[in-house]
Parts: sequence; structure tokens; C-alpha cells
Amino acid sequence: MHSPTDRARRWLETAFRLLALAALLSAIGLALRGRAADRAESSDSNGLPAALRRWSTVTTPIEASVAFLATPTGRTRDWLTALAGAGSRISWSGSELVASALSIEPRADPAGGADLVATAPLGASIVFIDAIGTLDSARVSGSPVRLGLDRPRSTIEARVGAVTARAGLTDSLSVDRLLVIGRAGWELKFTMAALEERGWQVDAVVQLSPASRIGQGITEPIDTARYAAVVTIDSSAGRYAARIARYVHSGGGLVAWPEALLLKPLARLAPGQSGAPIRSDDLPPPDSLPRTALTLLPITALRQDAVILERRGQLVAVAARRIGAGRVLQTGYTNAWRWRMAGGAQSVDRHRAWISALVSRVAYSHDHPLAVPPADAAPLATLVAALGRSTPPAAPMPGADPWALLPWLFSLTVVMLLLEWLSRRLRGAR
Amino acid sequence: MSRFIFATAQYASGDWESAPVLPENLIDSVARYTSIDVAPAGVHVPLSSEAVFNFPFLWLTGHLPVRFTEAEARNLQRYVTRGGMIVIDDHNHDVTGVFHNTATEEIARLFGPMTRLSKDHALYRCFFVFDDGPPTTHHELNGWGDDLVHPYLDAVLVNGRIGLVYSSKDYSSEWNFHPENKRTMQEDPTRFGVNLIVYALSY
Repeated sequence: MHSPTDRARRWLETAFRLLALAALLSAIGLALRGRAADRAESSDSNGLPAALRRWSTVTTPIEASVAFLATPTGRTRDWLTALAGAGSRISWSGSELVASALSIEPRADPAGGADLVATAPLGASIVFIDAIGTLDSARVSGSPVRLGLDRPRSTIEARVGAVTARAGLTDSLSVDRLLVIGRAGWELKFTMAALEERGWQVDAVVQLSPASRIGQGITEPIDTARYAAVVTIDSSAGRYAARIARYVHSGGGLVAWPEALLLKPLARLAPGQSGAPIRSDDLPPPDSLPRTALTLLPITALRQDAVILERRGQLVAVAARRIGAGRVLQTGYTNAWRWRMAGGAQSVDRHRAWISALVSRVAYSHDHPLAVPPADAAPLATLVAALGRSTPPAAPMPGADPWALLPWLFSLTVVMLLLEWLSRRLRGAR
Repeated sequence: MSRFIFATAQYASGDWESAPVLPENLIDSVARYTSIDVAPAGVHVPLSSEAVFNFPFLWLTGHLPVRFTEAEARNLQRYVTRGGMIVIDDHNHDVTGVFHNTATEEIARLFGPMTRLSKDHALYRCFFVFDDGPPTTHHELNGWGDDLVHPYLDAVLVNGRIGLVYSSKDYSSEWNFHPENKRTMQEDPTRFGVNLIVYALSY
């Protein structure tokens, strides 16, 4: 029969053993949990280069979350994609990252140049930068921001906050001659002058009388091997209309003034029909809105595939469409020459650039590929395509570091076992 | 499209209206020989006004000294550099006369030295063909003014195009007759005037 003291001791020894066992099990559990926690990593943009090296050489995380402060470089993005391919779950977040995109296209213009188009959320400010420095900036107000560059560098950046989109010219264009057809008149004269001053090589057929015309250069055959575009000022192009239509179907460009569309073969190609003229007065075209002072035959009855290129208020002033491989541009203005002669201080340059741009939009051109550095035209879209959508930043693991508890648990186990052994020895048990 | 309107330049210092029938005669010739859409009557435009820029072809003539006002000089420079074409004709047919001396001084002041047009220039073959350059006038042949035949025209070129033609040939006298008189002539002397206008509208 055990004395009450003995029974108390046995109780205590059982308690010591249970405590030791509990501490041991806890240590094992914490060790396992700590091992798993060791393979969930996180970083931000600043620490990412070092983290990527560690994750690739020391320990590959099961999960890695990255908080981007700015869009990653293509190299970083590809590295993360490779880690994801190797089995790590990569998640990312970046509240500062906004969607933006940039494109740059060479102009089919003898003076060269390129057109930039950039887009970003409404109200965002876009800063354009090249290797030399800042080119320009603009705020997004509903439609993409466009910028013309006369001498573009190979790579252009568009910065929107922390996001930098990069685009480069992938090719340059060369253009052939133009053929201008019309009756002797101011619109023909000043159109030809503007094009030639811009650097276009112009052949012309100028109708002077039913039996007389001036031909500058050789005008036949009309094909894409010789001409980048045909410019028709009026209906004197009648004897060439069928050939021009074939030329457009084979890839050539056509710029048509309203009167030229009285010719049925050309009217069938046009983006729309010419409406009733809105005549200009004889006031000088202002520098701010010069084409508001020109006579306009608004383009009506637009075809489904027509693209509106310019409006004057609610009226369509310039439109274009594709015909097979070719393109046709219709302008509603009939006396743009007044802009050059009677306009403001900048009118000669602006008229020249505008006329040339009409032709450039449809001109048949030859591509010459360029070697360019890698581009990143839409950084956020590319990031999402590579790593998936962003996720909220991972919450920090609650509680203390599990590895720090292990020595305490081990000590507790040893102490409990020693006490239990001491108790048993004091009562004479083995 | 804008029709061609023959414009005579008014300037402050001289007798700009010294060949009053010339516009009517050249308009008749343009309508007679070409299909150019030409207004039946010409206009007089002050060289000092903004209105000159609505008329990219100008005719300027006279007998008296030419001294352009500041506004006239400014407009003329702007007019020529923008692509307008002005024909300045010495109605005296006299290279020692006051019109010639002052007009050429003013041109040199505004544009620098003029270029002599070669006889194969497009101006001489853009409609009618004149193999020998500018056609000789009756005043030149019959002795009048300086009693010389001037075989060339001078010009101010802008980007290879003629912006200003200067003539010592006195076409202002040669073409200053009523158009119906052409039927009595073996050859219409205004044919070169047609070339001037065709060139202005085509080049």
C-alpha cells in the first residue's frame, strides 16, 4: 500500500514525464514548421537582385512574393519567370504600377521621322525620354498621346510614374516618287511645292487645256515599283483613273481631293462621299486652328472600314481606308494653299508638314530592318503575362521566430526528465 | 477649287495703273488658249494689304520711281518666300530710267542679286515654246527707251521656283491693247503672258 506522499510523488513524476513529452513534441512540431517557413521568401524591388541570386543558388523558395516599387527590367522579369518554371510559386504586388504602353513607327516620309503613340490611365502624365534627355511630356485626356519626332533615337522611353515603357524603331522606310495629277491651279502648285520642299521626288501631270498638259518626269507605268503614292487634285485625272485603281489594289497609295472623286473609278475607292461645301471667307487662317479657315467638303456616308483621321467640329475632314494591300486617303479641304500663303508665321512649315503627312499615311514604302535593343512596350501587361495578376502583399508570419523557442523547449524537456529521475531516486525506485 | 484672278499690285510711290488694259488682254488669252478657270475681270490689290496673299500671281508695272513702304516691302518679301509669283515690268523700257534703277535697287535690297533665267528655262516652254527666251517686243525692235533688245529676264528663285520675274522688255506697252485687236495680228504677242501665268499656276 502506497503512502499519500508516495502517491503524490508518483503523480508529480507522471506530470514531469508528460511535460517533457509535450515539450519534445512541441520542439519537433516547431522544427517542422520552421523548415517550411524557411522556404517562403519575400523581397522588394531594392533587394530583389540579391534575393534572386540567393534563391537561385542557396535555397530555392517554395513561395516567393515580390513587392515592386517600379516595373522590373526584362532580365529580372525573365529571372522570376524561370524560377516559376523551376517550381517556385511567384506572387507579386505593386500599387505604384499603372498600365501604360508605347509604340513607335517610322514615317513613310523622305525627311524620315517617326510617330510615337503612348497610352496610360486618364489624367496620367507621360514623359518621353530618349538617350539625350527629355523630349516632351503630356497628360492623357481620353485618347492616346501622339508625338511626332523628326529625328528619333533608336530607343524611346515613356515614363508614367514608376512605370517605364521602352520602344525602339525596328525598321526604317524608304519611299519612291510621287505622282501628282491636276489642272494648273493654286492647290496643285502649292501641294507640289510643299511635297518637293519636304523632299519628295514629284512627277506631275498638269492639265492646261483639253489638248495640252505638262508632264514632269515619266508618268507611266503607274505601279508600286515607281510610285509611293498618287495625289489627285481634281477630275483631270480621268484618263488615269482606271490605272490608279489597279495601282491601289496592288498596294499603292492614293490621296484624293474632293473633285477627283467625281471620277467613278476613284469614287469607288474612297472612304466616303463629299458633302456640300462649307466655304471659307477670305480671312487669314490663324496659326492656332488654320484649317478652320479653309473651304471644306465634309466627308459623308463613310464606309464601314473607313478610319477618321481628322475632324472639324462634328464634321469629318480627312478619312482613309484600306483597299486590299493599298490605302486611300480622302481630304475634304479644297483650298489648303490659302493656309500657306495667307496664314500665320508658321504656316509654310505647317502646311508642308500636313500635306506630307497626308501622303505618308498611304505611301507604299520599303522596309529596312534595324538592329535595336530589346524593347518593353507595355511593361505591366508583359509582367502580368509572365507572372500572372498581382496579389496583395503577404501578411507577416504571426508569433516569434520558431527556431528561437527550440532551445527553451529542449531545456524544459531535460529539466522535466531530470526532476522525474531525481524524484524516483529519492523514493528509492529505479 | 480657287479660280485664277489676275491681280495688279498697287504701290504707293508710282503709277501702278499705267497699263490699264493689260489685265483684260491676258485674261482673254488665258481663257482663249487654256482650260484654266480664270475670273473674267482682274483686281487691283494694295501691296501693303494682307489681301495680296489671296492672289498668288501679281503684276507690277510703272514709269515712276519705285520706293516700297515698310508694309509693302514686308509683304513682298513674305509673298515671294511663301510661293507667290510677282512679275515686275519696266514700262519705260529703259535700263537707265528711274523705274529700272529704283525697282532693281528695291529688289536687291529685299532679295539680294537676281538670277538670269536661261533660255531653256521652263518659263519659256511650259505652254507655248520660246526657243530664244523671252519674245522681243515691238518697242525693242522699233527703238524706244534705251533702244536695246533685252534677251533675258531676271528672277528671284525660291527653292528652285520663280518668285519674282523682272523684265526690262516693256511687256506693259506690248500687251496693253484691247483683246479684239488680236484678230488683226499675225501672231498674238500675249502668248508669253500665258506662259507667265501657266508657270505661276503649275510650278
